Amino acid sequence: MPPISDPVAFELFKNALIAIADEMALTITRTTYSGVLKDNMDFSTAFCDGEGRLIAQGLTLPGHLGSLPTALKSALDRFGDNIVDGDVLCLNDPYAGGMHLPDIFVFKPIFHEGQRMAFAATICHHTDVGGRVAGSNAADSTEIYQEGLRIPPTKLYSAGQPNETMFDLLRTNVRLPVQVEADLRAQLAACHIAERQFLEIVEDQGADQTIILMDELINYSERLARAAISKLPDGEWSFEDWIDDDGVDLGKPIRLFVTFRKSGDRIQADWTGSHPQVRGAINNTFSFTQAASYCAIRCVLDGDIPTNEGFFRAIDVVAPLGTIANMQLPGACAARGLTGFRMIDCALGALAMMAPDKVMAASDGGNTGISIGGWNADRKPFVYVDFTCGAWGARPWADGLEGNANIFSNMASQSVEITEAEHPVEILRYEFLADRAGAGLYRGGAPFAREYRITADAASLQVRADRANFRPYGLYGGGAGRHARNALNPGTSREQELAPKFTMDVKAGDVLLHELAGPGGWGDPLERAPADVLDDVVDELVSEAGARCDYGVVISGHTIDEAATKALRAKLQAKRGPAPTPFTRGDAVPALEDGA
Amino acid sequence: MSGEWRIGVDIGGTFTDIVLLGPEGRLSVRKVSSSVDDYARAIVEGLAVALDEAGLTAADVVDIRHGATVASNAILERKGARVGLIGTAGFRDVLEIRTLRMPRLYDLAWEKPKPLVPRRLRVTVPERIDANGAVVTPLDMDAAAEAIDALVAKGVDAIAVALINAYANPAHEQALKALLAERAPGVAACISTDVLPEIREYERTSTTVVNCYVLPVVRAYLKSLQAGLSADKVDAPLSLMQSSGGLTPADAAARLPVHIIESGPAGGVVGAQALAEPLGESSIVSFDMGGTTAKAALVIDGRAERAEELQVGGEAIQASRLLTGQGYSVKTRAIDLAEVGAGGGSIVWIDAGGAMQIGPESAGASPGPVAYGMGGDRPTVTDANLILGYLNPAGLAGGDRPLDLEAARAVFQAKVADPLGLSLDDAAFGARRIAVANMMRAIRAVTVERGRDPRSAALFAFGGNGPLFGWDMAMALGMNRVIAPPAPGLFSAFGLIYAEVEHHYGRTLRRVLANADAREIEAAWAALETEALDQLKAEGFSGPTQSVQRTASLRYKGQTHELEVDWTGPIFADNLDALAEAFGEEHARVYGHRAGAAEPVELITLRVSGRGLGDRPPLARASDRSTGTHGVRQAYFGPKLGWLETPILSRKDLVDGRKGPFIVEEYDATCLAPPGVTGEINDATGAIILR
Repeated sequence: MPPISDPVAFELFKNALIAIADEMALTITRTTYSGVLKDNMDFSTAFCDGEGRLIAQGLTLPGHLGSLPTALKSALDRFGDNIVDGDVLCLNDPYAGGMHLPDIFVFKPIFHEGQRMAFAATICHHTDVGGRVAGSNAADSTEIYQEGLRIPPTKLYSAGQPNETMFDLLRTNVRLPVQVEADLRAQLAACHIAERQFLEIVEDQGADQTIILMDELINYSERLARAAISKLPDGEWSFEDWIDDDGVDLGKPIRLFVTFRKSGDRIQADWTGSHPQVRGAINNTFSFTQAASYCAIRCVLDGDIPTNEGFFRAIDVVAPLGTIANMQLPGACAARGLTGFRMIDCALGALAMMAPDKVMAASDGGNTGISIGGWNADRKPFVYVDFTCGAWGARPWADGLEGNANIFSNMASQSVEITEAEHPVEILRYEFLADRAGAGLYRGGAPFAREYRITADAASLQVRADRANFRPYGLYGGGAGRHARNALNPGTSREQELAPKFTMDVKAGDVLLHELAGPGGWGDPLERAPADVLDDVVDELVSEAGARCDYGVVISGHTIDEAATKALRAKLQAKRGPAPTPFTRGDAVPALEDGA
Repeated sequence: MSGEWRIGVDIGGTFTDIVLLGPEGRLSVRKVSSSVDDYARAIVEGLAVALDEAGLTAADVVDIRHGATVASNAILERKGARVGLIGTAGFRDVLEIRTLRMPRLYDLAWEKPKPLVPRRLRVTVPERIDANGAVVTPLDMDAAAEAIDALVAKGVDAIAVALINAYANPAHEQALKALLAERAPGVAACISTDVLPEIREYERTSTTVVNCYVLPVVRAYLKSLQAGLSADKVDAPLSLMQSSGGLTPADAAARLPVHIIESGPAGGVVGAQALAEPLGESSIVSFDMGGTTAKAALVIDGRAERAEELQVGGEAIQASRLLTGQGYSVKTRAIDLAEVGAGGGSIVWIDAGGAMQIGPESAGASPGPVAYGMGGDRPTVTDANLILGYLNPAGLAGGDRPLDLEAARAVFQAKVADPLGLSLDDAAFGARRIAVANMMRAIRAVTVERGRDPRSAALFAFGGNGPLFGWDMAMALGMNRVIAPPAPGLFSAFGLIYAEVEHHYGRTLRRVLANADAREIEAAWAALETEALDQLKAEGFSGPTQSVQRTASLRYKGQTHELEVDWTGPIFADNLDALAEAFGEEHARVYGHRAGAAEPVELITLRVSGRGLGDRPPLARASDRSTGTHGVRQAYFGPKLGWLETPILSRKDLVDGRKGPFIVEEYDATCLAPPGVTGEINDATGAIILR
């Protein structure tokens, strides 16, 4: 007996439901006002069944994987059976199902003949939700109460009637009420589209058959996920990595530690051993730790697995309460995106031991967040926010990508010309750096540098970067990438090195240089084909000196000296011994502190 | 047969299609194998044969329109020019960093398309202009000369120049252009502000580079084609289809070939638009399904929906429009096509979870479907159609290629029906339904993205497999009319004949409307108009045959994406408000809401399109080669209706209307009308209408 009762009807149903989630996403990109949503795709859409189980998720932000069921469960716990047709539920409180305050969740229950059959669900990152800093994303808040308006599970609409008190509260507490309302409308529009189309399916299939098919869809994903997990070897693998600091307790490293346990068709990601929660705003909700874990695992699974409850069933995530991976009140979390990116690095490190042929070395350590804000001469505020990263670690089969979004977040970079046209900022440089990527049989992608010149009279500059103290690791003999760096007024007499995370006052003419860390390499650099090294030298991504030191390849005037290369490689080989494996970190690992 | 004949020529990877339209709508078609080593040869030779068959001579040809894939092929096959790129110091990698976005999630094996100019051929020069057009750092002419000499020494065929903020002040690019003419006269050169004087450095740089990359290839091709045609005494004017659906003369295409990248698929959409109009259908979904892909576009109120940016040279197959970055950005006006990897050759398979899947992998033309007997051993959509009785086992194209029904049945049984526990008939029928669902998703994406509901439109089905799937597609989309044009398999060539000359001009002028100087805007718009009119004049259009349309792209200040608003007449201080209001209305239409009157509206780019209005060609009569076989065949219409005796007809049999089921077999395509459907032929256009 095949596991699917009617394979044709099933495939059509699956297609229709995934299409609904995608159409919801298209509706949001079409109707949203803000660039964060359009360019950064910092939103997600999904479809859940009447019990709140995820059935289908739109092709949107990996960082939201699995966060919807958590939020929906919180809303269902709050309202129980007191949910009727025409209600719309919303929330953003990280302590009640949310992720961080800018992410507002909106859910619409869908009823058919009085029966609650489904929920349309959306999350959007809103431009501002109040709090002490414009954009509501400061890294140096130390309590959730500083970060903006907290919305517990609330009815935005009650039986079709808007909750005017809620709308008034929102409008009063946010800096950009027009945008926030427009983006909420986009979320509602997406839910309405989902409702209409889902009810068409129910008309067509009948309610009972629809419920059976939703169930089959969950089981189908579970089967695919378990089949893919089964192909991986069984065992237990742990890995640790370090965040430079939280921007509040400067210079104090923060440990991330994960253990993957894999047995048969099940896998567990356990973050026990990660640092206690920190004062800075980089703590994770458990749901965000789940998202990072799911995303990393997803990268090593074969096949096209629909994202739903079934996929999550095969994966167990553990994170002790009170840690950076599962914060408690009053922990702040607005800038926890950074922790998510670094968790991906950490999780991939463990998975690299489980599946050495599938996993890349550490990426460039992004994403870096840069905010420049202040007041124009006419007393109007300006806020420029840039999130940037763009180089992958080397892979077991190829060099790392350069100039490409991180696997955790498919963000676009903003046009330099648009930035200069709209903000009192000039971008003086945006290009690759040579000799920074980890060397290897395959090298890491080249990271880039960006330089920002302030043209306003005065401004506040906030930077949230990482990997200035802990280099991206290399794999299986590949070298670690080189450190990230922040500097003020480079190449002048006023040049000044800056911490990885800081807030400072700047004035017109000041220049911030940010250099991303170099991603790690993969495999022994002494085995990289000299012709490939020459290519990088010709392209000025590797210098002649770098070719000699990192690869043992002697190049002069774009010509390889074969004999000298052979001799140098032998000498380097003898000096080094076998290539380090599985990891090259390039920095001393800090001693464990109490509680970590 | 003589008189004034118009020719449409469309090139595909396998076939070159030639359509001849004569007085009173007489139509003659010819399909020949493409000559891959020199595409021009098949055109010249095929045209000679086609003229001969129709009893015509070169002197009867008044006009040749051509949908060329030469530019897109050069990119796909990476056979373009060796291009050097000069940029602003500090910005060597604009072309390679792109927008960072990737088209796939969770895929560590994703590879970016390699930049068309490798880093070693990207150089920068000290210079800087700010966002307002003021010179911050003057262009270092010595460094520029050195950069040019270095690129020439590296053997480049072409040099592109794209400087930061050049849209606001092209002076430095102009200076480099002059310097290039002086120091590298033998090298083709393009500056970004000549190709696309608009804001956003990556898109402008990439568009300029793509133009340079295909330039020598397109020039050589057009030269060879024109030489071949002249040798045959065919001296009618040659024009090329642009991605926008408008024509451009061959010499203009040779100057700015970036506009003809998506030349191929545009012809069909334009033809669909032209043929639907006399049928009283101003809004249609054009549906072009061939062997490997299906493409759809939306025509609303007689105008094809346009996109402002293309991704070229990447994977052609893209199911979702949410993800971008698969190819090279080309910012030109183009017909907005949704493309999905579903065609007759799409493989039917079963995934690890036990669900039936169609494509995107295709058996292609070789080995092709199992039924072709050319070594294909995996079931395809065409095999399903044959099993269901929709295709003639004797084959199409007058029986050139018989189909092996038994082989198709055996493979489908073993690889699809048995593993799923289905009967062979239901497995084949199910495969078709899933293929339809896949294609529907792509079409819904183009319509939903624009807030359009396709249900009131008619489906215009062409391509080798279009009419075979037309009715099912219409049903799936909630539409109730299908149009199958004459010569559906060659319709992209046919459609070219109905296209009009069209040129587009734009310039970024970033101003907040509330405090803008209307005279400045008017002057800029007028200058673009002059450019458009001069070009049209050079092509022989004047007075009433010239038509220009002004468009402004606007947004609320702070937004990152613009909307296009048409504008008629001059702009002056008193009607700037009206332009802002028109934008507000468009914002409400597209986004469902608008901001209050106090919200500043920002102008970003002014555009002008110029059209040359030629004589409307006559409508075609039924194709000369559309006489199909007659008889009956058993065909399967699903578990409820089962196998039914189905008449095989030719188009002419539908003059008085027929009730389905029936199948129309033709030289180049098969049209399927299931039970309950009525089909008739429309006299004026020769189209089959199913409803």
